[in-house]
Amino acid sequence: MSWAAHDLEPYAFQRHLGLKVAFVPLLIGSYAPDLMTKWFVYGIHLGPWELKASNPAQFHRGWPGFGFTHSLTFGLLIGLVIWKVFGSRLWAISFVIGHWAHSLTDMGDTVGTMLFFPWTFHFHVDAWAYAGQTGRYTDAAAYFSGLGGMWDLVWIVYGLFCWRVLTSEYFDRVIYRADAFWPWANRVVPRGALLTLYRAAFFYGTSRWIAWTIWAHVVHHYPYDLSWGGPHWVPAEHP
Amino acid sequence: MRPKVDVPSRQDLRVFGGYCVAAVVYIAIGVQYLDFMLSVVVGMAYLLVAAWLVPLAFRRLRR
Repeated sequence: MSWAAHDLEPYAFQRHLGLKVAFVPLLIGSYAPDLMTKWFVYGIHLGPWELKASNPAQFHRGWPGFGFTHSLTFGLLIGLVIWKVFGSRLWAISFVIGHWAHSLTDMGDTVGTMLFFPWTFHFHVDAWAYAGQTGRYTDAAAYFSGLGGMWDLVWIVYGLFCWRVLTSEYFDRVIYRADAFWPWANRVVPRGALLTLYRAAFFYGTSRWIAWTIWAHVVHHYPYDLSWGGPHWVPAEHP
Repeated sequence: MRPKVDVPSRQDLRVFGGYCVAAVVYIAIGVQYLDFMLSVVVGMAYLLVAAWLVPLAFRRLRR
């Protein structure tokens, strides 16, 4: 799984597709697969009860489980629903692009994704270890010690290279014009706040990347292992 | 032919600097209290306060 790439990828797509996509559904699409699953992978406490998947990887990416949320077919299906129910082709296409980016990115770990569900074959590149079953903190430590963290860094650097996409001028000229959502929101939310919210996912992804890296390698001293499939000090899950 | 370099203006750098300050505070809190970093909603709310509300209040007070 990825920790920051899903926050950052939408800006890269936005940069290349301009007025052809709407940023909000692009970002929602990029978050969507994990919105439905991640809380149960790590578990949550509700009073005395702990709700957690008995087999987190199976629940998150497999079948039986919610792995279908990470398939291209599911993204397409939700895109069609958005198109038919809300009548917006722009939102539908943007959602699908964001969702597919997530599904393809998560293919990078050792569990991978069932891209063509209901075909349950897992496509996986094995570049970094899937360690969701070890709990949130060990998972974070492992992710930011291996190639997963480096993959996120690629998106941060690319985002900074395309810095114009984050400017006020770009927001007015492209983001605001491309999608009726922004003028609608602007009726109650000031433009300055909307601009800040537009930049928020990039800020969130980048800041979190730095913070988790400091936590893993300065506060704690988890060893870096940038070998393929690493870090090998964590037990990687496989399909 | 000279390659065209896209250089940010002074205003762009000032805005970027503001976000960097907000990021430093966010990272400091996040490293100390990991739960703070877990929610994108909290991240957005924090940024709204740090990068929009506080500078807005500061500008109003200076007037």
